[in-house]
Amino acid sequence: MIGLMGTKRKIALLHGCCALIGLVFLWGVGLAYGGGDNAVAHESGTVLIARLINFALLFIILFVVIKKTDIKGFFSARREGIRQKLDSLTRQKNETEIRCQELEQKLKEFEQKKKEIIEQFKADGEEEKKRIISRAHERARQILEHADLTIKEEIQEARDNLSQELVEIATQKAQAIIARDITDSDQDHLVNEFIDRVEKLH
Amino acid sequence: MIDSKISRRYAKALLSLGQEDGHYKDYGQNLQEFSSFCADNNEFFQVVSNQIFSLEDRKKILEAVLQKSLFSDITKNFLSLLLDKNRIEVVQEITDYYIELTDEISNITRAVIVTAKPVKKEALDNLTNALKQLTSKEVKTEVDQDESLIGGVVVRLGDLVLDGSIKSQLERLKESLKRGVYN
Repeated sequence: MIGLMGTKRKIALLHGCCALIGLVFLWGVGLAYGGGDNAVAHESGTVLIARLINFALLFIILFVVIKKTDIKGFFSARREGIRQKLDSLTRQKNETEIRCQELEQKLKEFEQKKKEIIEQFKADGEEEKKRIISRAHERARQILEHADLTIKEEIQEARDNLSQELVEIATQKAQAIIARDITDSDQDHLVNEFIDRVEKLH
Repeated sequence: MIDSKISRRYAKALLSLGQEDGHYKDYGQNLQEFSSFCADNNEFFQVVSNQIFSLEDRKKILEAVLQKSLFSDITKNFLSLLLDKNRIEVVQEITDYYIELTDEISNITRAVIVTAKPVKKEALDNLTNALKQLTSKEVKTEVDQDESLIGGVVVRLGDLVLDGSIKSQLERLKESLKRGVYN
């Protein structure tokens, strides 16, 4: 923290010196232009003096500043800082590259897995499709068999009903004919037959 | 079922009395006449057997009827007892059981002969004799006519039914045809 504070102070001092040199330089330039309206002979002596003073001041200031502000240490620290930052950035870059490679690897694996899953789904889908079709075929076969059986049963039932109706009508007709045509002698004959059967029972 | 048991018990009780004094046939005759009277006079039977009316009133009516009859005292007392015990409504059932019991004692069986047309007396006698031979009992016959039989005869001997009617033959033929058995 203290080191950091010292570095900041040096930087501020360096900035202040630079500003002062700039001001002196501007002042020198101003004087040089300001003397344009005087006589040429007078002008060249004054300008020369001003320039000399300016240069001397500049030299002194630079000397003092360089003496006061350990510019070498500043640049050394600055270089060290930059180097550390560069190392850090290089390390980060390497780490990032490793991370990127890892991610790329993961992405490849993910793509592979995705392909496998899709293939698996496709295979499962095919299997399910075959199973559904097989089941549908089986169900269709059962329905057809059931329909066939039902038809046969219906036909048989209709045939039975028709036969029964025919029998019913035939017996009714026979009953009516017998009732109409039976005579007393038939009745006597039937009674005698009955008596014979009863006697045989004994 | 309970009434049947009770009726049988009353019939047996009267029969035992009749067997003791030897008049069981007379008692049976009396019971039959009373049952026929009740059947012919339904209002009388309804009043006597209906418990809405007081027992005294019903007893007076029954006694009034019995006084005019030639029933034996035992029979009269028996009928009064039935009234007292509220069993007069099953007198017909008691009579039937009594007749059955007396028939058993007398070795008599009753046959109901149902014919489609009137039967000649000779044929009826022959049939009665055949039934006597079959049952080895004296057979008392009752002849009914039922034209639905078409022809032939049906005999009912207790639980035994001998069916020689055209109607039953046609029914058997019809069932055979329905079953597909034609022979």
